[in-house]
Amino acid sequence: MSALLEVRGLMKRFGGLIATNNLDLDVTEGELHALIGPNGAGKSTAIGLISGELKPDAGTIRLARADITAAPIAARVRLGMTRSFQVTSILPEFTALENVALVEQIRAGHSFRFWREAARDRSLTDPARDTLARIGLAARAEVAARDLAHGEQRQLELAMALMTGAKLLLLDEPMAGLGATESQAMTEILAGLKRHTTILLVEHDMDAVFALADRITVLVYGQAIASGPPDAIRADPAVRAAYLGEEA
Amino acid sequence: MVRRYLAALVAIALACLVPAVAAALGKPDLITLGTQIAIYAIAAAGLDLLIGYTGLSSFGHAAFFGLGGYTVGIMAFHAAGEPMFGVIPGLTEAWLVWPLAIAVSAIAALAIGALSLRTIGVSFIMITLAFAEMFFFLFVSLKTYGGDDGLGFRRRNAIPGIAPRDDVAFYYVCLTALVLVLALLHRVVHSRFGRVLQGMRQNPRRMEAIGLATYRYKLTAFTIAGAVAGLAGALHANLLRFVSPDMLHWTMSGDFMIMVVLGGAGTLVGPVIGAAAMVLLQSWLAQWTEHWMIVMGPILVFVVLFARRGILGLFR
Repeated sequence: MSALLEVRGLMKRFGGLIATNNLDLDVTEGELHALIGPNGAGKSTAIGLISGELKPDAGTIRLARADITAAPIAARVRLGMTRSFQVTSILPEFTALENVALVEQIRAGHSFRFWREAARDRSLTDPARDTLARIGLAARAEVAARDLAHGEQRQLELAMALMTGAKLLLLDEPMAGLGATESQAMTEILAGLKRHTTILLVEHDMDAVFALADRITVLVYGQAIASGPPDAIRADPAVRAAYLGEEA
Repeated sequence: MVRRYLAALVAIALACLVPAVAAALGKPDLITLGTQIAIYAIAAAGLDLLIGYTGLSSFGHAAFFGLGGYTVGIMAFHAAGEPMFGVIPGLTEAWLVWPLAIAVSAIAALAIGALSLRTIGVSFIMITLAFAEMFFFLFVSLKTYGGDDGLGFRRRNAIPGIAPRDDVAFYYVCLTALVLVLALLHRVVHSRFGRVLQGMRQNPRRMEAIGLATYRYKLTAFTIAGAVAGLAGALHANLLRFVSPDMLHWTMSGDFMIMVVLGGAGTLVGPVIGAAAMVLLQSWLAQWTEHWMIVMGPILVFVVLFARRGILGLFR
């Protein structure tokens, strides 16, 4: 088993605050790896650094052995990695189908095509419909994204991430703001996805994390204090003290 | 869909009747007004590709309008007198001069866009404004081409089969240009390229996250809009047989923006309605007072506050 994503000695300071402190992280091909930690532990910063929205002060990030530490976002997406956002990030005026079709369009190559009508382009809409079906949104394809329910918007966001054809999905709190039933539905969708895609999941919903994760890394003050399978993490005294203990 | 094409055909048919109506009413200046509307509508429709579709508030669109105009003026100047720098002869044929005007504006837009698009938001507005002002002062200081006073020329650019003094024919030329530009932009905004532009307006961060290198698409849109403004400027120079730095003034950029917002940004019909509203209101209000903006201003505020999709939005 080789590490699809390999993070070594990652550092990020915001002024005096050390948001990411000498972080090491390995995400193995095919696993669902959860990144957990209390508020302010630097989970979103870590996702930002890995996805390329933030530039690290030190350390290296490798994706499938290629050094992507300094690569722009678009290059990382081409290499097979994409993220979803904590706050729902979709194109509100486009329909669900148009949202996903646009991702397929970008994946398929450059968009310097000025003449043919994109809405009638089956090479875009067919794969988009398939992906919507996989994620359980087929019936809502023609609805404007802004009119979808919150849970459906999160699903759409996932469909867009999936449509990039990513080998590695960075999911930043996909359950955020979802009700109990919606969270349950999302957990099932992710359980279905993890068979096809490697996932790095940041999530506060511990039920979902322990139900889904193959391995868990615990972040505290930007540092990984433990990493291992769910049972080992649950039993780890340092983790209990720093994190799980707070909830009990 | 079918109803939209029908509405477009009816609108074109009505626009074709303007010279007949003007003749029936005995008001030939209506033809000039109609020509002016068509020309401004071309420039505003191009600008809407940036403001309404891509979400780029360019405040320097007059630069490309003016450059298109000056290309016509300068070519006519050299055709009537000495060649430029003693070697480049002037031109008077429309089929040569107008593409040249479009190319000059497109190249300027490519250069200005390449620099301005590295910024976003207010900085982008300010930088585009600054570049337009630069061109304004350049032409004010070019005494060879009239400087402050502008540059007049005797004849419109020659189009085979059309008499240069025929205002009705020139109205139809401008109307044809407007219809062609709108048809072209219609294809563009519905193409893959257009999808990308609209995506960048709605959520630029998301577009990057799914792997789009946004800069080159913004730059292409900026260049297309500049080229379209260049055509409008060339037509405007022909309408008046005169160009002046006023074409490049920042108030001209502001007028184009107002047309887009007034009519309805993010649609292709909107800028046409905006241009018509602006030209007609101006000519009507100017009969009462030279401070016609005192009335125009509140109307604009009203439209922006209460009809967020412009005049067009009121009828939806």
